[in-house]
Amino acid sequence: MHEQKIPLIRLAKRDSMEPWKVWCIRGSSFLAAILLGALIFLLMGNNPIAAYGTILSGSLGKKTAIRQTVKLAIPLLGTALAIAPCFKMRFWNIGAEGQITAGAMAASYFALFWYDKLPAPLLLLVMGVAGAAAGGLWALIPAFFKARWNTNETLFTLMMNYIIIGIVKWLQGGPWEGRPGSQMIPMFDSAAVLPKIFGVHCGWIIVLVMTVLMYIYMRHTKHGYEIAVIGESENTARYAGMNVGRIIMRTMFLSGGICGVVGFIVASGANGTLYDGVAAGVGFTAITVAWLAQLNPFAMIGISGLLAVLEKGADTLQTRMAVPASISDIITGIFLFCMLGCEFFINYRMIFRGKHKEVA
Amino acid sequence: MKKFLALLLSLVMVLSLAACGGGKGDEAPAATDDPANTEEPAAKTVKVGLICIGDENDQGYTYNFIRGKEAATEALAAKGIQVEWNVKYNINEDSGCADANIELAEEGCDLIINNSYGFEPFMLQVVDDYPDIQFISCTNQGSWNDGRDNTHNAFANIYEGRYLAGVVAGMKMQEMIDNGEITADQAVIGYVGAFSFAEVISGFTAYYLGAKSVCPSATMKVQFVGSWSNATEEGNAAAALADMGCVMISQHSDNTTPATTAQSKGVFHTGYNNDMISVAPEASLIGTRIDWSHYFEYAIEAVANGEEFDQDWCHGMDMGAVVLTDLNEDIAAAGTAEKLAEVEAALADGSLQVFDTSTFTIGGQPLTNAFALDTDGDFTPDAEEAVFDGAFHESYFQSAPYFALQIDGIEWLNSAF
Repeated sequence: MHEQKIPLIRLAKRDSMEPWKVWCIRGSSFLAAILLGALIFLLMGNNPIAAYGTILSGSLGKKTAIRQTVKLAIPLLGTALAIAPCFKMRFWNIGAEGQITAGAMAASYFALFWYDKLPAPLLLLVMGVAGAAAGGLWALIPAFFKARWNTNETLFTLMMNYIIIGIVKWLQGGPWEGRPGSQMIPMFDSAAVLPKIFGVHCGWIIVLVMTVLMYIYMRHTKHGYEIAVIGESENTARYAGMNVGRIIMRTMFLSGGICGVVGFIVASGANGTLYDGVAAGVGFTAITVAWLAQLNPFAMIGISGLLAVLEKGADTLQTRMAVPASISDIITGIFLFCMLGCEFFINYRMIFRGKHKEVA
Repeated sequence: MKKFLALLLSLVMVLSLAACGGGKGDEAPAATDDPANTEEPAAKTVKVGLICIGDENDQGYTYNFIRGKEAATEALAAKGIQVEWNVKYNINEDSGCADANIELAEEGCDLIINNSYGFEPFMLQVVDDYPDIQFISCTNQGSWNDGRDNTHNAFANIYEGRYLAGVVAGMKMQEMIDNGEITADQAVIGYVGAFSFAEVISGFTAYYLGAKSVCPSATMKVQFVGSWSNATEEGNAAAALADMGCVMISQHSDNTTPATTAQSKGVFHTGYNNDMISVAPEASLIGTRIDWSHYFEYAIEAVANGEEFDQDWCHGMDMGAVVLTDLNEDIAAAGTAEKLAEVEAALADGSLQVFDTSTFTIGGQPLTNAFALDTDGDFTPDAEEAVFDGAFHESYFQSAPYFALQIDGIEWLNSAF
């Protein structure tokens, strides 16, 4: 009688797991992803081993390939760093996409209209600062509403994306348009383009420095502590005398500011111009990067690198083996699904019906 | 703990089994792949990259390139030149295009063709790193005179095809007037344009002049949709134009929705890029398109022989680079085919100029001068007088169209784009 009411599988939170077991689960989920991906390749009539080989050689096989892969990883890492403090605070900033665009737009203004008035290093500095300020302000709007009227930040930040993307679209076809009717903003003057170091624009140095700074900020500063407390419990924070609204706004400004710097890096370093798709979905992919890295800045380097390898490799896969681009998206999706999914098994255990004594 | 180990062990076993299975499965496709790769090498093989904004499913712009690619491959095979194509589909006009050019260059392509206007600035970011590879930007204008040896532009005199399609439309409208179906002032053409961009303006002006040459009372309304390819908006614009009383719809946009809308509204249509008779048999009279195969053949052959080729290529009816699709004899006006042949011959021998300045006015005045090229980068033409010998010479100084004037008889319903 009693037995029948119990569902077949129940879930229970795990207390903690030994690290080696955790890594076993992660390793096997990675392996499962590889095998599932191989199955897709087989179904498509491609040799999975050759396909994975192509992904690796296409993304890491040559100096030029590595450069392209690094170029893809830069905005992912930068944006994941940006949203980490927000997520730590349990403030769901889905607006990185728009904050990147806002930063790119502000930086582009100086690139387009000030390039002949300032020396190149100063121009780039001004562009970076303008990008940070614009991204920060764009993020501050939803933060203010959240702090003041407790609006839903997920929807608010998401909608802010469409507004700023619309503004850039208007600039593209309106005041900043180059050839009439072309819908394209002219390319930046070379003074407004980030210099290259080892063949990749120097944005990679900027994001690596930011990684270290973010680690220190989150782990070893009072601000970082406040963010962590609010994330655990807003009431505790309030009880401890923290000004929660102020901290929310400050953290969002920082987050948006970093996104804005990423926007500047992408527009100036990689694109050499501004267009409405400047963020290219990075704002959303970075959420996955941040979660997979469990908000650890150094782990983000690895995760964003892995995603960049998959993306660049998939591109080569399409070129060499004529695998449709959508297949590579499926493969990336499988990897993310398995990697995120395994965290579930690390945090929860399954209890099967009829099993009273629990193991593992 | 024991159970965990058992679980882990069984997992490993299952996985290794699957891995073996996967391994065995690999052999078969690999075996079938091999013969294809070891095909006897022809005398000359050229590796050509093609970067497309869409894919052949658009049945329009990119599909037209793919047709050109296939025809060129066949023609070159007959000359003993094997072409190995590497095609990148659905590339956006952003830094993804620079990446695609790098990707194809690194794969060893000898020639890389960028099929969309907006690809050019991103292509030009890359070209200096690969001086031995030839790059082509179709329909744009910044490559041929940029001082580099390995960058090219190409286009076709599509205005000739537009003019001819306009003749077909004009004859139909004149027939309707003569039959008393509409009055002379009701001969209104509705044109769905992408943007108020020189290529589009040049196209619809040529179309209008073609129609007016056989239907003197014809006027035209142009509705811009603000996108090169947006099936819904194009259909909406066509519907709005038909509701405003347009009896003939034409388009410079990528989809077939203007044709199907014209049919459902009971008006006629002429198409672009593709034969649209199959989707709108009761409305579509004719279409015009660029046949890219001639240019591809020319450029690839030059690369195969290690020769240089024109940095700015533009041909039209003279060598079949602009073609008309089949005429819909069931609904076209009587005598259309004969008239077309006559006009085509006149265009070919130069006795007829599309932009003959005696056939149109601007603000009531005849056109006496207009510059063709912009040399100082402010996007306003300032060099090379295009008006001479009684006509505006389109695509004469460069392949990309530069006729961007608003002539009388054509009403722009919106010009925000």
